[in-house]
Amino acid sequence: MNEQMTLFADKRAGFLLYLFVESIMFATLFATYLIFTPAPSGPKPTDIFEAKSVILSSVFLLSSSGTLILAEKGLKSHQSLKILIGLGTTFLLGLVFLGLEIHEFYKYVQEGNGLTVNVFMSAFYVLVGLHAAHVTFGCCWMILLSVQYKMMNLPYQLYTEKQRIFQYYWHFVDVIWVFIIILVYLPYLL
Amino acid sequence: MTIPFFGESIFVPSDVIAAWILSILLGAILFIYVMKKRKWPIIWEYMRTTNHRKIGTMYILFGVIFFIRAGTDALLIRLQLAQPHAEFWVFQQDKYNELFTTHGTMMIFFVAMPLLIGLMNAAVPLQIGARDLAFPFLNAVSFWLFLGGAVLFNMSFFFNSAPNAGWTGYAPLSTDTFTPDVGNDYYIFSLQLSGLGTIFTAINMIVTIIRHRAPGMKLTRMPLFPWATLITSFLILIAFSVLSMGLYLLMFDRMFGTGFFSDDTGSPVYWQHLFWIFGHPEVYILALPAFGIFSDVIAAFSKKRIFGYPAMVLSIALIGFLGFMVWAHHMFTVGLGPMANTFFAVTTMLIAVPTGIKVFNWLFTMRGGVVKITTPMLFALGFIPTFVMGGVTGVMLSVAAANFQYHDTHFVVAHFHYTIIGSTILGIFAGLYFWYPKITGKVLDEKLGKWHFWLFIIGFHLTFLPMHITGLQGMPRRVYTYEWGDELFALNLTSTIGAFLMGSSMLFVVWNLYKTHKYGEKAGNDPWDGRTLEWTVPSPSPEHSFEPMPIVKEMDPFWYAKIAGEKLRTTNNARPAPISTKTIVPLCIAVSLSIMSIGMIYTWYLLAVLGGASAFLLFIVRSLTDERKEYYRKEEHSNE
Repeated sequence: MNEQMTLFADKRAGFLLYLFVESIMFATLFATYLIFTPAPSGPKPTDIFEAKSVILSSVFLLSSSGTLILAEKGLKSHQSLKILIGLGTTFLLGLVFLGLEIHEFYKYVQEGNGLTVNVFMSAFYVLVGLHAAHVTFGCCWMILLSVQYKMMNLPYQLYTEKQRIFQYYWHFVDVIWVFIIILVYLPYLL
Repeated sequence: MTIPFFGESIFVPSDVIAAWILSILLGAILFIYVMKKRKWPIIWEYMRTTNHRKIGTMYILFGVIFFIRAGTDALLIRLQLAQPHAEFWVFQQDKYNELFTTHGTMMIFFVAMPLLIGLMNAAVPLQIGARDLAFPFLNAVSFWLFLGGAVLFNMSFFFNSAPNAGWTGYAPLSTDTFTPDVGNDYYIFSLQLSGLGTIFTAINMIVTIIRHRAPGMKLTRMPLFPWATLITSFLILIAFSVLSMGLYLLMFDRMFGTGFFSDDTGSPVYWQHLFWIFGHPEVYILALPAFGIFSDVIAAFSKKRIFGYPAMVLSIALIGFLGFMVWAHHMFTVGLGPMANTFFAVTTMLIAVPTGIKVFNWLFTMRGGVVKITTPMLFALGFIPTFVMGGVTGVMLSVAAANFQYHDTHFVVAHFHYTIIGSTILGIFAGLYFWYPKITGKVLDEKLGKWHFWLFIIGFHLTFLPMHITGLQGMPRRVYTYEWGDELFALNLTSTIGAFLMGSSMLFVVWNLYKTHKYGEKAGNDPWDGRTLEWTVPSPSPEHSFEPMPIVKEMDPFWYAKIAGEKLRTTNNARPAPISTKTIVPLCIAVSLSIMSIGMIYTWYLLAVLGGASAFLLFIVRSLTDERKEYYRKEEHSNE
C-alpha cells in the first residue's frame, strides 16, 4: 500500500506540474486578450456580452465542481452509487455548459461577430474556445473513467488514482473559468 | 529544374533534387545494412523501449544526425558568403533565407535540445541514484514527439517549401500576408510537436530529481549536472508554454484569418515579446545544462571537489531567474522607450555577475588539483576562454545605446555563436566523451578525440572571430552577399575556411565512432576514476540499476568511498522504482500527431481529423493498458 502511495505521489506531482504548464499557457492568452481588448474598430465587448448567458453557464460549470466532490466522497467510503452519481451529474453539467458555450458562439457568429471581425473577437475566441476544448476533453475523460470503473475491474487503488487525477484537472478547468469571468466578461458587464 | 508531374511541369531547385537522391541512396544503403546484419530485432526493441539510457541514446543519435544536416547548411551559408557577389549553387535571395532559417531552427530545437536532453536522460538518473525517470512511458512519448517534429521540419525542405522567416519567425514577415507558402506552417507545427515533447521531459526530470534520489542524496549533496537539469526544467515549463501559445496565435493568423500579429489590426511587436519571453530563457535552457556538465567534468579530472558548491548552485538559480527579466534586450531597436531599454540593459548586465562567479569557481576547482587532460577535460578547458569572450561581447551588446550599432550585424552572429557553441556544443561534446562508456560500454578513442577537439576549436575561432570585425564594419546578418568595395572579402574567406575546419573535425567523430566500436575494448564501471554514483554501476548502465541501492552520506560519495578504501553502504529498502514497460503506443501517438500536423499544414482537414482522432484513441488505449494494473494487482494479492 505504501509503495502505491509513493508511486501515486509521483504521478500527482507530475500532473500538478502539467497543470502549472497549462496555467502559463492560459496566462499568455489572458495577456493577449487584455492587450487587444477593446479593439480600435469593430464590435466592442460592451455591445456583445450578455450577463444572462455568462451567469447561466457559470452556474452550470461551477456547480459541477461541487458534484465532483460527491464522487470524491464516494471514493473514500467505497460507495459506487455516490461515485457514479457524482461523475454522472458532473458530466451532464459539463455538457450543458458546452451547449451554452456553443449557443453563445453561434449567436455571436450569427450577429456577424466571427473570429476574424477584429482582434478583440479573435482573442476572445482563442481563449474561451481553448477553455471549452478543455471541458470537452474532460467530458470524454469522464466517460472513460466510468467505463473503467464499471467494466474494467481495475484494482481499487488504481481507479482511485485515476479519478483523483481527473479531479485535479476538472477543478483546474473551473478555476480557469473563474478567471475568464473576472478578466474577460466582468469588466464589460458592470 | 522542371520535372513533369501528372501532366504538369513543376519547378524543383537542384539542391532539393540532390537531397532526394542522396537520401534515397543513404536510405537504401541503411536498409541493406539492416537486412544483412539482421538488426530488425534491435530496432523493434528501441521502438518500444521506455528505458532512460536507451531513450537517451536515441536522442543523441538523432541529435548528431541533425547536427550534420544543420552543419551542412552552415557550410552552404559560408560558401555563399566566401567572396563578394558569390553565386554559389542556388543559395541566393529566398533560397538563402530558407538556408539560414533551417540552420538556426534545426540547431536550436533539433540539435542542441535533443543532445542535452539525451545526456540528461542517460546521466541524471544514474547520478542521483534513480532507477529510471519517474514516468518511463511519458519519456518515450517525449522522444517520439521530438522526432516527429524534427522529421516534419525536415520534410518541408524535401517538398521545396522550407520556412524562410528566420528561426525567430518575426511577424509580420511570418504571417500569411508576406509568406503565403506552407513553409512557415511547417515551422509552427514542428516546433509545436517537439516543444510539447520538451515540456513533458521537463516535468519528468523535475519529478525524478525531486522524488527519486537515493537515500541520503540530499539536494545539497547532488552533483551539479542534475542541479542544472532541475533548474533548466523549470525554465522549460515556463518558456516553452509561452512559445506554444505564441505559435498557437501565429497559427490562427496564418490559417484562420485573425490579425494578432498583422501590422494594421494587431501588433507585430507582440510576437517579438512572446518569442523572446520564450527565446531568452531558451538561451539559458541551452547553457545551464552545459555548465552542469562542465562542473562535473572539471571536478572529475581535477580530482577535487567542485570549488564553491553553494555558490555554483545559487548562481545557476540566479541566472535562471534573471533569464526571465532580460528578453527585451533583443528588442532595443524596436522603440520601447528609454525606461524599458535601461531596465533591460541593467538586468542583462547583472547576469554577468553569477556567470562570472561560475567561471572563477571552475578555475579555482582546477587550481591545486591534479589536472588530467583527457578529451572531455579538453573541451571543458576550451569552453572557459571561449565562453568568456562570448560573455564580454554580451555585455557590450547589453549597452542599449551602442546596441543600435551592433543590431542585426555579424557582430551579433559572432556573439551568440561564441556563447551557444562555446557553452552548449562544447558541453555536449564534453558530456558525450565523458559518459560515452556509461551509454555504450566503450570509451571513445582519446587520440581521435583530441584531433576532434583541436580542429573544432581552431576552426571555431577562425570562423567567428573575424565576424566581430565584419559586424562592426556593418555587415548585416541574413543578407546573402556584399560588395567588393566593402573590404570584407579576406575576413569572410577566413570564416569560410574556419567553418570547413569545424566540419572536417566531425569526420574525426565519425572515424572515432567506427574505430571504437570495431576495435575498442569494453570499459569497466569506472573508466575515468569518477566521483559520483553513475560510476558505481556497470557500463553500459543496466536496465535495472542500483540493486541494492547505495546510501549517500556526503557529496561525491563514490570518490570518498574509494579514498577510504570502502564500498558504499547499500540498502534493499529503497523507494519503489518507476514501473518499466515495453510499448509501441508512444511512437504511434507521435505518428498520429505528425499526421494531424501534415493535415493542418496542407489544410487537408479530413487527414487532420483522422490524425487527431487516432491520437485520442491512443490516449484511451494507453489508459486501458496501464502498466500499473498488473503491478497493483500483485500488491493487492500480497496484502491479502
